[in-house]
Amino acid sequence: MKKIFAIARKEFGSFFHSWTGVMTTVMFFTVTGIFFVILSLNFAQISMDPRIAGLSSFPNISQTHYVFGSLFLNLNVILLFLVPLITMRSFAEERKHETLELLFTYPLTDLEIVAGKLLGLIWFFEMLLVPLAGYALVFYRVGGELDWGPVLSAFLGFWALGVAYLSVGVFVSTLTKSSVMSAVGTFGILVIFWMMDFAPTMGGGGMSVFVNAMSPLRHFRNFTYGILDLRDLVYFAFFFFYFLFLSLRSIETRNWKES
Amino acid sequence: MVTIRKPRSTEGLVRFESVTKQYGKKFAVENLSFEIATGEVIGFLGPNGAGKTTAMRILAGYFSPTSGRVVLDGVDLFREPQKAKKHIGYLPEVVRLYPDMRVREYLRYVAELKGIKPKNMPMEIEEKISLCGLAEVEHRLIGRLSKGFRQRVGLAQALIGDPSVLILDEPTTGLDPKQISEIRALIRELGKRRAVILSTHILPEVSMICNRVIMLHQGKVLASGTVRELESCLKDREAIFVTVPGMQYQETAERILSGISDVENVRVVEHHENEIRFCLETAQARDLRPEITELFVVNKIPVLEIRRDQLTLEEIFLKLLKDGWFQQRIESGEKGKE
Repeated sequence: MKKIFAIARKEFGSFFHSWTGVMTTVMFFTVTGIFFVILSLNFAQISMDPRIAGLSSFPNISQTHYVFGSLFLNLNVILLFLVPLITMRSFAEERKHETLELLFTYPLTDLEIVAGKLLGLIWFFEMLLVPLAGYALVFYRVGGELDWGPVLSAFLGFWALGVAYLSVGVFVSTLTKSSVMSAVGTFGILVIFWMMDFAPTMGGGGMSVFVNAMSPLRHFRNFTYGILDLRDLVYFAFFFFYFLFLSLRSIETRNWKES
Repeated sequence: MVTIRKPRSTEGLVRFESVTKQYGKKFAVENLSFEIATGEVIGFLGPNGAGKTTAMRILAGYFSPTSGRVVLDGVDLFREPQKAKKHIGYLPEVVRLYPDMRVREYLRYVAELKGIKPKNMPMEIEEKISLCGLAEVEHRLIGRLSKGFRQRVGLAQALIGDPSVLILDEPTTGLDPKQISEIRALIRELGKRRAVILSTHILPEVSMICNRVIMLHQGKVLASGTVRELESCLKDREAIFVTVPGMQYQETAERILSGISDVENVRVVEHHENEIRFCLETAQARDLRPEITELFVVNKIPVLEIRRDQLTLEEIFLKLLKDGWFQQRIESGEKGKE
């Protein structure tokens, strides 16, 4: 366990050895900040004049759901771009610099290596979530009707979605020596998962049921409504561990593949 | 039949048991068996692609062999890798380190990964920094260090945890002469209480550091013996280098050189602008330089340079291979065993 933390610390620290970490952080803060302000202002505008939104009267729309529900749903699109940036270097860079060779000769299991790297990336991702909590506080301070339940569950859902996506990114990163390829590959896979959300639910054929059950966004949306369902949690856990397993198999190929 | 297990101390510290590494139909290492005891410095010799690096990577636990076993101090390297790998320090052929880490920070990271106890950590790192002469660069970024220093950082990381087996893949390539002699002295010193395995291209290095040599060719052990045994059969060969100006002389010169008795393996080793350098192998007993100069003068070929030199290891190696020298030795060795 100590070794996992040592790798995680190094992985987390390496974000701040280069500009990638700082750039990613700044961009994420800026984008989420803009989203939050726009959504808050939109809500204010609609509540004053429902007609501009095509509503004849102002129904009982929950402030929390309008601002934070939408914020988190928009953020999952940002996540498609953010995750490849976070994960692209994890293994690809070590393969390029051939530093993995030494890592494999230390008394470490493959699981410790992959878990350590993932943990470091998760820490970085969690660090990015801190300002989101700040937005909730600001919203509360300016007198918004903050319903804590859905906000917290949306946070949890967003965290689970992000961690699952990170696992995909780490897996893709083990496949290549190029950070760019790793980022592009991760983005491609995540976009496919994202598009599953658009599949029609009607008809109810086997394929439709399958695609809908596989869609991460379907599971994520429940969290933004404040619904905590064990099935959604199990889904994300399975998603995470499945790609973790693939990463392990991928780095095991050094035993039979000529490098 | 009663089998009595030998006490651990007399067994080799490192034991390769018919280790084979196969990529598709190609054998990188085939049926490799040998033993190494504490206090031995073993030199791995062989041309490029002989399987030296593959054998060393297997021993370092980087990848597993297709078949066979590696036993380290009684522990199977691939059954209990965590336990066995604690005994190993590995310096790869090209030392690759994280360019964005500082020397001390990096050594600390390695010590954590090798499971050094926190209370021993500062002492361990201090000791390796002073042993490898890194005190003056300990706070610098690895990416900014010179090659010599990077090699030393590589050695320091291998030494962390005081492993009983050191694997050094061409430890002296790319260093300047002063650094080379320092590293050699260090390796000799380290070899007193450890088993050291190193690969090299430089023949004098072998006689300087190693007390035993294992020669590999096409993934198989061709010969293994002490340095003296090896030297005795290599000493009588040498190379002569002849440089002539201009392409127009190439054919004639080549014909003349090949025509001299006792000369073998005439070839062009360098094409530089208009100068062509030939290399030829000969027995050491007779100095051929006067004869060659005379023949060139008669044929009106100017000679820019003529020089005697030792054959490089690979040349000797290939020569021995062609002569069937190994075959004879292996056969006589087998007879000796019977």
